[in-house]
Amino acid sequence: MTRVAVTGLGPVSSIGVGARAFADALRAGRSGISRITSFDPAGFPFQNAGEVRSFDPADYLTTLDPAGWGRSSQLAASAARLAVRDGGLDPASVAPGRAHAVIGTTSGESQVSEMLTAQIIDGGFAAQDPALLRQLGAGRLAHAVSEELGLTGESVTIATACSASNYALGYAYDLLVTGEADVVLAGGADSVCRWAHAGFFRLGALTASACAPFDRDRSGILTGEGGAVLLLETFEHALARGVRIQAEVLGYGVNCDASHPVAPDAASVAECMRLAHRNAGVKAEEVDYVCAHGTGTPANDLVEGGAILDVFAPSAPPVSSIKSMIGHTMGAACGFGAIAAVTAIDQGFLPPTINWANPDPALAGLDPVPNEARAATVRVVQNDGFAFGGNNAIVMLGAPR
Amino acid sequence: MSPVVISAWSALTSAGIGPATVAARLRDHSGSPGGREVGSGSGYGEELPASRAHVLDGFDIRAQLGRKGTSSFDRVTGLAVVCCREALDAAAMDLDAARRARIGVSLGTTVGSLRSTSDYTRETLVAEKPYLVNPMQFPSTVMNCAAGQVAIRFGLRGVNATIAGGPLAFLNGVRYAGMTIERGYADVMLTGAAEEYTPHRAWLSHLTGATGPLVTGEGAAMFVLRRPGLPAWAGTDPDAMILAISTAYGPGGGVQADQALTGCVRRALHRAAVTGAEVSTVVTGESGTSDVSEFLPATAALGHEPGRLLPKLSFGECGAASGAIALGALLSADCSGLGLITGRGLDGSVGAALVQGRAR
Repeated sequence: MTRVAVTGLGPVSSIGVGARAFADALRAGRSGISRITSFDPAGFPFQNAGEVRSFDPADYLTTLDPAGWGRSSQLAASAARLAVRDGGLDPASVAPGRAHAVIGTTSGESQVSEMLTAQIIDGGFAAQDPALLRQLGAGRLAHAVSEELGLTGESVTIATACSASNYALGYAYDLLVTGEADVVLAGGADSVCRWAHAGFFRLGALTASACAPFDRDRSGILTGEGGAVLLLETFEHALARGVRIQAEVLGYGVNCDASHPVAPDAASVAECMRLAHRNAGVKAEEVDYVCAHGTGTPANDLVEGGAILDVFAPSAPPVSSIKSMIGHTMGAACGFGAIAAVTAIDQGFLPPTINWANPDPALAGLDPVPNEARAATVRVVQNDGFAFGGNNAIVMLGAPR
Repeated sequence: MSPVVISAWSALTSAGIGPATVAARLRDHSGSPGGREVGSGSGYGEELPASRAHVLDGFDIRAQLGRKGTSSFDRVTGLAVVCCREALDAAAMDLDAARRARIGVSLGTTVGSLRSTSDYTRETLVAEKPYLVNPMQFPSTVMNCAAGQVAIRFGLRGVNATIAGGPLAFLNGVRYAGMTIERGYADVMLTGAAEEYTPHRAWLSHLTGATGPLVTGEGAAMFVLRRPGLPAWAGTDPDAMILAISTAYGPGGGVQADQALTGCVRRALHRAAVTGAEVSTVVTGESGTSDVSEFLPATAALGHEPGRLLPKLSFGECGAASGAIALGALLSADCSGLGLITGRGLDGSVGAALVQGRAR
């Protein structure tokens, strides 16, 4: 069967831009949380988020004119450009129509939407800027990648909220194994915005300044943003051009809770893990590390941690959440998780869960890799993604053999 | 992608609920863009860019679905859930929990409910305390809300996807559903698209030029897709079959997108192992007979000019839902040969699907 290689990483994150900077920050356990600047947080009780503060798309883009595209599209396209650079791929060298773009998102061009709403408040509907309205469609996130890299294959945006980039990686995997593609740029992007900040606060799911997944006293998420894109190609294509294979996509599992719009379902989450293992041909005991969804809310971590303890009984592999460092980057979250997983495999360390102080007695037996990165031989990683709507998606990655 | 059977379908449009209303509208179509008055006093409560729209008269979520679980539904969620109920009823599958776990959803959209997201932001901007938003409404601001509610309502625990792509969302969603079935992740995919009419969407269509000579509309269409003959519990005789589908991107749009669309049609013909001469009807998202932005690139691949079906003239410009309504229109039209559905987005996104109607 066709095998799927990861050959390039493109993180645009609050703790570093580019594969090396991101890996170094993961190893150092750096926090990317700062006071919000993309909107005025005055009046909000909590005012911090994981913004990509220094992001200037002109630093990365060679084709796309940033002026015509919203921030999330800029993040997606920049991440894709970084991924092909990391993988040493000239997109023009791929056969026409054989390279695709698949991008996940939660809120698409949320900042564009918020600018338009401000215009409606100020001057009525007719006062909206048509140029800005043309940037609104969420489908443009994938199109920005296609434009930037000149890709003529499929250009698909998947909007399954916070697991969306695992869906994107999964669909990319399918395109490659079914012979529909030689190369796919897959991942996700989202931008920090007022409405999500307010909504998570009102759900009681937001924390003040330090996200502490799996800690006994964890109190919520911090919203975050970024673009996270991986360069995937068939082993055949990668070997033919002589590029180093950093990791292999082994398969994935997707299911739906079908029970509650917001609260996760423990049995369904556990079932998704088993589905992912089965589809990837992996036994639970072969998993060396779980890159957790780990949002840092009391309820979500309890459900995810409980499902892990159930599926991996009697002993679970180490489980860490990079959301402790970059916040919840929404539609980009699983893309960053996948990049962290590949980094763990390729560089032989487990990223830590920072801000961690006390074990949660309800999750006894769970090793959250507290506060400091740990050297380890990592052969198989489970990259978790869960979302509103009960949209569970888990991608399995492995060391190249 | 292997061919998929359309074992049942339904639609909600300005013509009403169900396939028969689509067929009737196509038969009676007068040639004018139609729609009904939505001016002051029509309940939309805001200034509107045009006096007419293709809206569902009197569509009431609670009347359709009851009070339980629907209090936070926005309009697009209501349209999607009701349309899925109709399609599932039409499919008359014998379902238990294990079978429902093998049914997935693939739903196309542009941005979800623009009204829900915009109103949420508005609250944070105009309220004295910006964080005093309604937590119950928060899920409506996320694009996967409607597909998630469909899953909850009908207990569908299979792959649940929301595909954002405006005019291409439906074709990309069918492509995604076909892949999901082919890979064995689900046995049945409830696939379609939905879009609501609100002042927000009316102005979006108007100011971006998407409406042009058309009238903005709303609606949904959902199709029950599965493998030919499988699974046994999923079905009766198929209405029709999607033989092949291809989507692509033409960077920069314009002539690049023309060529990409021609390429999609060629690929679809090749995959289905049929010739362009067998295609008797082309269904497009074009705004009228003088708009040939899809027809010309399609005929370049077909080698002849088949009949044209322009469903937006009958049902309005319904954003992502227009793509799904196009398939419903094709299945309702009297065509003896194969049908070709095309789509083209604002940027360079294009796609085409070859459909065998039931008359064959």
